Amino acid sequence: MATPVIMPKQGQSVESCIITKWHKKVGDDVKEGELLFSYETDKASFDEEAKADGKMLAIFFEEGDEADCLVNVCVIGNEGEDVSEFAPGIAAPGQSSPEATKESVSATPATQPEQKAESAAASNDGFVKISPRARGLAEKSGADIRYAEPTGANGRIMARDIEKVIVQGKVATYASKDAYYASGNVVSGTGIGGRVTTYDLSAVPAGAGQQKPVAEFEEVALSNIRKIIAKSMHASLSQSAQLTLNASFDATDILAFRKKLKENAETLALPNITINDIILYAVSRALVRHREINAHYMGDRMLLFGSANIGIACDTDRGLMVPTLFAADKLSLAEIAAQSKKLTTACKEGSISPDLLTGGTFTVTNLGTLGVESFTPVINPPQTGILGVCAMTERTKNGKAYPAIGLSLTFDHRAIDGAPAARFLQEVVKILESFSFMLALR
Amino acid sequence: MPKSQMIDPKDVRKKGYVKFTDIPVNQYSKSIKQEEANFSADDFLRIYRDMAIIREFENMLLLIKTTGEYNGIAYNNPGPAHLSLGQEASAVGQAYLLQKDDYIFGSHRSHGEIIAKGLSCIHKTPDDELYAIMKNFMGGRILKIVEGNQKNIKETAIDFLIYGALAEIFARETGFNKGLGGSMHAFFTDFGIYPNNAIVGGSATIAMGAALYKKVNQKSGIVISNVGDASLGCGPVWEALGMASMDQLTKLWEEGYNGGLPIIFNFFNNFYGMGGQTYGETMAYNILARVGAGVNPDQMHAERIDGNNPLAVIDAMRRKLDIIKSNKGPVLLDTIVYRMTGHSPSDSGSYRTKEELAAWAEQDVLIGYSKDLIKAGKADAGVFEQMNEYAKELITKTIKLAIDDSVSPRMNLSVTPGAIEDIMFSNQNVEKLGTDEPSVLIPMEENPRVKQLTGKIRYAFDENGKPVSKNKVYQLRDGLFEAIIDKFYKDSSLVAYGEDNRDWGGAFAVYRGLTESLPYHRFFNAPISEAAIVGSAVGYAMSGGRAIVELMYCDFIGRAGDEVFNQLAKWQSMSAGVLKMPVVLRVSIGSKYGAQHSQDWTSMIANIPGLKCVFPVTPYDAKGLMNAALAGTDPVVFFESQRIYDIGEQFCKAGVPEGYYEIPIGEPDIKRQGSDITILTIGATLYKALEAADILKGKHGISAEVIDARSIVPFNYDKVIESVKKTGKVVLASDACERGSHIKELASNITELAFDYLDAPPVCVGARNWITPAYELEADFFPQADWILDAIHQKIMPLAGHVAAGNFTEVEQIRRNKYGV
Repeated sequence: MATPVIMPKQGQSVESCIITKWHKKVGDDVKEGELLFSYETDKASFDEEAKADGKMLAIFFEEGDEADCLVNVCVIGNEGEDVSEFAPGIAAPGQSSPEATKESVSATPATQPEQKAESAAASNDGFVKISPRARGLAEKSGADIRYAEPTGANGRIMARDIEKVIVQGKVATYASKDAYYASGNVVSGTGIGGRVTTYDLSAVPAGAGQQKPVAEFEEVALSNIRKIIAKSMHASLSQSAQLTLNASFDATDILAFRKKLKENAETLALPNITINDIILYAVSRALVRHREINAHYMGDRMLLFGSANIGIACDTDRGLMVPTLFAADKLSLAEIAAQSKKLTTACKEGSISPDLLTGGTFTVTNLGTLGVESFTPVINPPQTGILGVCAMTERTKNGKAYPAIGLSLTFDHRAIDGAPAARFLQEVVKILESFSFMLALR
Repeated sequence: MPKSQMIDPKDVRKKGYVKFTDIPVNQYSKSIKQEEANFSADDFLRIYRDMAIIREFENMLLLIKTTGEYNGIAYNNPGPAHLSLGQEASAVGQAYLLQKDDYIFGSHRSHGEIIAKGLSCIHKTPDDELYAIMKNFMGGRILKIVEGNQKNIKETAIDFLIYGALAEIFARETGFNKGLGGSMHAFFTDFGIYPNNAIVGGSATIAMGAALYKKVNQKSGIVISNVGDASLGCGPVWEALGMASMDQLTKLWEEGYNGGLPIIFNFFNNFYGMGGQTYGETMAYNILARVGAGVNPDQMHAERIDGNNPLAVIDAMRRKLDIIKSNKGPVLLDTIVYRMTGHSPSDSGSYRTKEELAAWAEQDVLIGYSKDLIKAGKADAGVFEQMNEYAKELITKTIKLAIDDSVSPRMNLSVTPGAIEDIMFSNQNVEKLGTDEPSVLIPMEENPRVKQLTGKIRYAFDENGKPVSKNKVYQLRDGLFEAIIDKFYKDSSLVAYGEDNRDWGGAFAVYRGLTESLPYHRFFNAPISEAAIVGSAVGYAMSGGRAIVELMYCDFIGRAGDEVFNQLAKWQSMSAGVLKMPVVLRVSIGSKYGAQHSQDWTSMIANIPGLKCVFPVTPYDAKGLMNAALAGTDPVVFFESQRIYDIGEQFCKAGVPEGYYEIPIGEPDIKRQGSDITILTIGATLYKALEAADILKGKHGISAEVIDARSIVPFNYDKVIESVKKTGKVVLASDACERGSHIKELASNITELAFDYLDAPPVCVGARNWITPAYELEADFFPQADWILDAIHQKIMPLAGHVAAGNFTEVEQIRRNKYGV
């Protein structure tokens, strides 16, 4: 009997995934446990294994297609079996068929079934049905009309559909749409009402005409995760008042503490504790005493959190990912070390649950291992602060050399003033400089 | 249907015969000698001079048209030239006795009449008065062009007349009508020369209206309708004859106004309508004068006269003017003439023989008349040679001026783009056009309807929001009545007529009560002659009065097509702003009466430049717009709807004001404010739109802004565009059949003007492109509230839970158009 394979739902907040690769094609034999396809959300990637033996009978989505969660993506079964009932978008038997609906106009239901905007808004000739008002609103706001769900008559996108896209935050201009804006030229329109016409665009601007050297390049489509990062980073910088405080701490104590741990690791079965883990520990303790920096800034109000959910910036092959170490202030140093290792590994493997990629109240990022001595980390909104950990350098105090590690704290001046932010940083430094002592007390 | 006149079966069933008296045919036979008592030697010669000027004028045009040259002067005149070569004696004879206050109306072939009437007027008018006329016309522009070393004012005036006419024919801005009338329409009212008309017979109803003006306003002078023999094939000419002769003029009209209309229906009978021979081929009257016998017991004092002899024509005019002065008009004259050239220069003459032309050439009117005068010893041949030479010099000098672009430029519409635009409407507001005390029978406050209206409730709802009963509420028809009776007590020139206006009070009771206030000469029943009703109003208004005429059903516009579309609409602008056209034409859109009594033809009216057009549907708007229409100087086609004559005022909470107020023509009105969708309506469909708006609000939470167009032409889009910019969506609705209806025009303009704001295409909901079926089926024909919802659901945005009954899909739209239904 044919068995459909659905797109798994990876976490509560995930509604659809993109199929990145098919490992089987129609007609291939499939054994239980073999890879069927790989897929990704905007934050992580996953593999789907076969849960039954059989033949791949049908594949409903191409590589690169987005499939709603819980929708059938392929069917495994015996050769010759009918798979048509599993095709997504076909109503279950008993419901009226689309043809029947079309014929009797009077029965047209007002609420359209959930459709993918991309296909629903485009008519057969490839034109997108969109009202001038909606198009104007999209141009003005930069809303991506491909995300709009048309609710107008005849599948037309109306202004209200674009407003929904804006609320959803799908506000990214896409260059292909807009040769005009991308050109960077300001052309005054000669069309009626000052509309810019194709003539205006084709008109040669003054001073043009010299051939520019053509740079060779490779065009690479942005991955989903790159788009997300781009959007959130840009939003962060453009929509908040960020500034960075730099400090450093004397790492003598923690280096000594770590040395002792290493020496006793085997005998005491201690986990490998990194400098980063120690800093996470220090930060988690300081955060709960400086609540305005362990917070979300919401524009008209602040959310002050009771526990420190620290995002750990994590460099992966796919780009920056930030898994969350929940309630770090309640965790022991050993627990922090173990959990952060698990999180970063999952990120690197692409198997992290999307639910673990949200919920942070503060972020720690570490470029110190790459030799960076000072930087301006970018806040992950609506968080109000991020702490950058820098490379260890040698400094002198009273003519005496000591190992120093730089700390770069970026905070949102809308949420917190300079002095309290500096006090938070000062406390982190204090904890780290007398770490073994503090560890004993806290 | 006056009760004073009983239709007694004993009388009307009596045996008997209709008796006719003999109609004179060419009875004039006086010699020059016998006429000496009536004419001085100068008079005899002046008659020749006038004919010679016309002959040379027409000859010049013939040469210009056919050879491109006259007397060594090359010119190309692409415009028309319908010449009256051979007919000169009739024009000069007719004009000889006429005064400045006597009006002539002509046809496409009236150059001769213009010149003859002008020359006659110049001869009779004192010099200072003549000079003042020339100086005041167009700020003295023509006078400045022609004034030089003339011997006297009269000679200057002749130059002025010939130049003004020729410059007009050559479409020069310095012509009598700034070149906007041209050859077939030229006129000059200061000399009593009224519009000539390019529509065959078009002048008959208009001239009759001018005669009505003279009678009603007791003005001096008579009116002549100069049309051709072939125009008796045109219905409106017969209508004019009938209406000019209606019994009531002698039997019912009051002392002082009693008697026939002061008009001569003169037919210049040249035996051809273009090439169609009226005598022997296309008509049946044999001798045109016979027609008079069928019109009234006086046989219209009809007579055939010899238009080839100026003295015969003058003799007849003398006798006919006496008849009119004794209040015995109208008169019919069959003036035979012969056109020596073609209908127009493109006429190959295929319909008549060389022999016929030669026979008439032998009887040439100038040669014949000059021979008679030589024979009678009034002058020798040299005198006539001199007059011919004078005519040639006059025409040569005038054409040189008229074709000189520096002296006689054409309108330059790129330099003054508003030149024509500015004269399409006169746009004046004049409380009264008549200067006399208005003639009324009782004080207005004693009028029974006026008294009755004081007890009416002027807002449709009581203080609890409940509808006031039909019997108590002030209705739309009351709003119209109040505006109209008010104007009757202010403007002595105002007249109202149409079918069943008096006694009955109009088919829809708008005029109920007017009979009690107004004498016959201001308010009367017209014959069922729609062309004559509208055409006469045109003549009445261009003579200086104000008229409100009614066609009962909008559908009857078809019967007055030429009068509405070519006459009422055109004369203000074709006169370059000289004439005003204060006519309100009431038409009512029917209900319950089927295919020929239910049509909304606003789009047809809107398509004709020069007509204003309104369609109020509330008592407040009806009164305000009627006041504005009656105060204006432009023709207003005033649409009404029989569905809602009894409707109360639902929007103006203070109630319809008792006093005078105007609503400017051209301003739409927001009847209900809203934010999500705009519904723009024309006419009574407003109330269906409000029903739809209620459902949208109640069932779908959609707030509709409902706008009543109120005016069709002119129309200010500002409010509508502002609304559509706000809502992004618009439905347009009216009772007119949808194809080509005015809502389509509105939708097209809205699309262009608010394109970037539109969230859906403007959607039109009109009546089906069918005949109007029986009343019981009207809900399937006229737009209903649920049609508007269906259209929104299917063309703009689906309405949750709405089940469409109608089909407004694109597929259906294409199908209907494909089959023309």
